[in-house]
Amino acid sequence: MSAPPGEQTRISVGIGQLAVSRDPNEVLIAYGLGSCVGVSAFDPEAKVGGLVHVLLPASDGRTPDSKEPARFADTGIDALVKRLAELGALKRRLRLKVAGGASVLGPANAEKFKIGERNAEAIRERLKLHGLVPAAADLGGVKGRTLEFHTATGKTFVRTAASPAVEL
Amino acid sequence: MPGTTDFVINTLSTVAREGAIRAGRGLSGLMGQEIAIHIPDVRLGTKADACDAVGGSDAIVLGAYLSISGDITGHVMLLFPIERALKCVDLMCGQPPGTTTEADELAESAIGELANIVGSAFVNALADHVQLVLHPSPPTVLSDMAQALVETVYAEVLSQGGDVVMIDTVFEDRGGHVAGLLIIAPDPAAVARLEGLAA
Repeated sequence: MSAPPGEQTRISVGIGQLAVSRDPNEVLIAYGLGSCVGVSAFDPEAKVGGLVHVLLPASDGRTPDSKEPARFADTGIDALVKRLAELGALKRRLRLKVAGGASVLGPANAEKFKIGERNAEAIRERLKLHGLVPAAADLGGVKGRTLEFHTATGKTFVRTAASPAVEL
Repeated sequence: MPGTTDFVINTLSTVAREGAIRAGRGLSGLMGQEIAIHIPDVRLGTKADACDAVGGSDAIVLGAYLSISGDITGHVMLLFPIERALKCVDLMCGQPPGTTTEADELAESAIGELANIVGSAFVNALADHVQLVLHPSPPTVLSDMAQALVETVYAEVLSQGGDVVMIDTVFEDRGGHVAGLLIIAPDPAAVARLEGLAA
């Protein structure tokens, strides 16, 4: 059920989760993206948007658990595009923002933990397969990020433990 | 959860308690006062459990990461919610609680040293228990969102199909106690090797 106008409902999109919305009161949030990558998508005409919180780069043919539809970059992006289309979004109108893929365990361990980099690359490749290019991206680095998507405006914001939210 | 058997959990529980005794000794010697480490619980955890234990996915934590190399490989992470980390620094420095108010260089250095003692004690106890050669890496001190840190270790282990073991760790001196979370994530090949020792 929708909240009364003006009252924001903040929906946490956990690891491996996917959320789509046409409710302007809803804010979709992926907290603490480390090596994970968050992807927001918005169709400004249909006014529908969505967010995925991807954990791993490739499904390697495994069918993702229905409880974690966005566990993998490839099947997660496919699911996001499909769910948005069901709400009336057109793929060619989607505006995509991508954030995460950091090496949060520090430069000394970056070589070992390449999962962030691999996630980011896998997302880019899957989007390309759909003919999509991110409008903005904030990837890599050594700090965790929280990504917020506001359905009302289609805007996406990113913050870290040390810095306030800025629009992506 | 498939993949990690009771034998492995029991082994890590025994090792955690032995490690806690050794780390307590090390800390007491370093600090010149009695510091005991209690291990109230050892369990398999989900990502959400691990984040909840340190204040929720959006909580800011201070802690450190060590990798295990040698005959088997894995990951060790010691995490505190930031306010508890600062209390722990006071405890380590013999100061009244509330003296340290921010995660400054001294605080980071103290937490790094604590993780070094605790992490190394655990890894060495494991090495002795299973008769394998293991090396803990120097600690990397981390201050970030809890979930960002937990999920990165999770992603690394899960990309190979493994589990994460959570060890509640309580540090206590005469003046009080402070609880942290020790996360042990053996790489799946390491779990298989440990299971092989059960046979």
